[in-house]
Amino acid sequence: MVDTNSVLGYAAPIVASPGERIQFHLSSASLTEVGVEVVRVRCGDPDPAGPGLRLRAMGSAIDGRRPVHFQPIRPGSFALIPDRMPLPQLGSFSFACFLWPTWPAKGATQTVAARVGATGEGWRLEMMADACLRLVVQARDGRTAEVRSTKPVLEREWVFVAASYDEGGALLLEQASLDPQAGRDCSCSNGASAPGGLAWPAATPLTLAARWTGWDGDRPVAAAHFNGKIDRPRLYGAALSGDQLRALCEAVVPRAGDPLLVGAWDLSRGIGSDLVCDRAANRLDGRLYNLPARGVTGANWDGTVMSWQAMPEQYGAVHFHDDDMADAGWQPDFALDVPTDWPSGFYALKLTGTRPDGDPVESFVGFFVRAPLGQAKAPVAFVASTATFLAYANSALRLDQSHAESMLEGLIQLSPDDCYIAEHRELGLSTYDTHADGSGWIYSTALRPILNMRPRANSFNYVNDTHVLDWLEEKGFEYDIIADDDIHREGAALLAQYRCVITGTHPEYYSREMWDAFDAYQRGGGRHMYLGGNGFYWRISWNPAMPASIEVRRDVSGVRTWEGEPGEAYHSYTGEFAGLWRTSGRAPQRLVGVGFDAQVFDRSAFYRRLPASHDPRVAFMFEGIGADERIGDFGLRNGGAAGLEIDRADPTLGSPPHLLRVATADRIGYGGLPSPEEFRTAHRGLDGEQNANVRADMIFFPTAAGGGVFATGSIAWACALSPKGYANNVSRITENVLRRFLDPAPFAGF
Amino acid sequence: MLVNDPAAAHFEIDPDRVDLVEEFRRNPKGPHSDTLRKVLHRMRWSGEGGRFVLVTVEPGRRWVLGRLPERRGDPVELFRNQTFDNPAEAEWHVFKLRWQAITGRAIEADSVSGS
Repeated sequence: MVDTNSVLGYAAPIVASPGERIQFHLSSASLTEVGVEVVRVRCGDPDPAGPGLRLRAMGSAIDGRRPVHFQPIRPGSFALIPDRMPLPQLGSFSFACFLWPTWPAKGATQTVAARVGATGEGWRLEMMADACLRLVVQARDGRTAEVRSTKPVLEREWVFVAASYDEGGALLLEQASLDPQAGRDCSCSNGASAPGGLAWPAATPLTLAARWTGWDGDRPVAAAHFNGKIDRPRLYGAALSGDQLRALCEAVVPRAGDPLLVGAWDLSRGIGSDLVCDRAANRLDGRLYNLPARGVTGANWDGTVMSWQAMPEQYGAVHFHDDDMADAGWQPDFALDVPTDWPSGFYALKLTGTRPDGDPVESFVGFFVRAPLGQAKAPVAFVASTATFLAYANSALRLDQSHAESMLEGLIQLSPDDCYIAEHRELGLSTYDTHADGSGWIYSTALRPILNMRPRANSFNYVNDTHVLDWLEEKGFEYDIIADDDIHREGAALLAQYRCVITGTHPEYYSREMWDAFDAYQRGGGRHMYLGGNGFYWRISWNPAMPASIEVRRDVSGVRTWEGEPGEAYHSYTGEFAGLWRTSGRAPQRLVGVGFDAQVFDRSAFYRRLPASHDPRVAFMFEGIGADERIGDFGLRNGGAAGLEIDRADPTLGSPPHLLRVATADRIGYGGLPSPEEFRTAHRGLDGEQNANVRADMIFFPTAAGGGVFATGSIAWACALSPKGYANNVSRITENVLRRFLDPAPFAGF
Repeated sequence: MLVNDPAAAHFEIDPDRVDLVEEFRRNPKGPHSDTLRKVLHRMRWSGEGGRFVLVTVEPGRRWVLGRLPERRGDPVELFRNQTFDNPAEAEWHVFKLRWQAITGRAIEADSVSGS
């Protein structure tokens, strides 16, 4: 059995032009040396029914044997406020905040706030394994005291928490439920005596949602992470009562001139950043680590607004998770200066070795080489759907979600990668997954190993897309790779260099900038072949400050593996409304003629020609295809070219008036189930056996300035290109269209 | 917070319906009759008896039976002596395990050809 995970790594950046440098960050817990070879990926799918793995060794300067060592990943988000005056000088103090615990039953200690030194001296406010809170103080000489609350906090219920130490020798811990009725009241007040005159540790940062344990270089290390929201954390230099603190914390804007106010962290400021802003006069600003969720509702959110931009004072909370992971932070092992004569393409670092038990190791780190920006090398561009790859990065959906097997209509087939992720959650999961506390993952980054964005990965997205590359190579078409990252940043000008741009099997995640770029490209006469399904579906944001980091928020529409909290459907990165593009007035039909309508994972269907396919204006498309020929009654994904996720045309959703629906696969069977936004009321008869709107449409329409759009509306299409030695009608139609799209003659007659 | 409740699948499986067993054995991939679909939904949604899965040993050629852990983060359990060279054989094997877990009655007929 080939081991694909004994050595892992990531490339930074994941997309580069020839002449640019890519650093590789590797780690292995069992190997001390690996074989390194840079390969260009033609086909990344090892399925023996298809072309098989096709990787071309490039002979790079970094090829050879290289040492590798273990580098840990430390998941868990928290806020860190550097140690500054007056933190070490405090005598008596009070800490207070609003708390929304999401995993009080974790069975382990979770830190709300702490200022704890190397030997435990200092203070910490914790939620214990029994979901009760406690404040612990410890003197430098080891004397400790604590006070515990006597009622456990409830899951997903706001509670106000006030903790204080009086240097006269008293501890106080009070909690007040914000909805104290119907069994939800966990309010209580508890006191205890403590050593007097404690001195706090030096050189110790203050942390929220975790306890600081030291430094690894310039990165803080933390433990005992909290799961849930913290709103309006405040620190006062006196032992105040719970009532006093409650009154102070209810004020959204604290009195900055209050001499007792040490820190008032306003988490509604800098929501698009990792900044933790202090509104008190001391300016004890800090930062967040590992991307906890921002732009989330606070304890005072009352439904008046749904966007944090409309009323930020109701979004003064951060949702922390003990499994948040944004940046593995591994030291780079070596760098590749991409040679200027390398062709654009999907590339990978191939890592080989032998496990202690003798099994071979063959692991990959995926990356992409584009043409130099502004210097197209080929008339065709294939889009590396990096946003979608990030959205799906390290998906554990099939491991964690009970609907997976029913959705797939058959036994779940796991790869060794899936088994690895089952045990190694520290890699950080995908935006399809839920955190351990049940909330959805809204951020994904490329600063970590991504197991399903490389050869041999699970057969979705990346691997399926390589079937298009394989086909382009087989047919001798020169192509450049352009990545979603580039389209987002460079816009329409990048696309405009190409006579034809091909989007792959599943370009599902689009930012507004990416959408606008395609819209402008198509209006400007560009030719767009969309060879996939469920494209242009979810709206995303890219982090303006952190390359290769996207945000996805799942609202109450669309096929969603989790549902976001009310009032949290606006991206923290940009403030844009999240959810489906359809909900934002841009159904995919408007851009590419077709849009997502159904999932069908049990079997794939074939297309039949429709009368429009005999229109002389699209004769080019069907050259060599018989009038009654079944199109794609074969393929590597469930035996057909129309399957997995499928799209249909619909004028009411924006399909253009001049669209020609040339073929359809509308006999999908009961395994075809419509996406939720496709029906208004539940009724029997929604499935593909009874519902003609569950279908994949093949379409063409002309655009302004002589351009055109061709779409197949199916993820399975690309996996039907290679059967019969590429001499099949799916391959033929694709080639007919591409050749015509490369012909500059405008599409006329529409 | 909307969650998928694994206990929501409550179709009662009649252990006397050996015709459904036979229908599945003949054709694990379907299409299936309406009642068999309900049986399969119960089995696949609830994961009763543990969520059995296939783990790919050799892509497209060989799989080993596995079971997902009950606790997140634990390893996938592998039954290394139970391998299949065809997913349909595995479907039948797991169908029998689930039928017994849900109805308490074993399916005697055995046509599993996996090693």
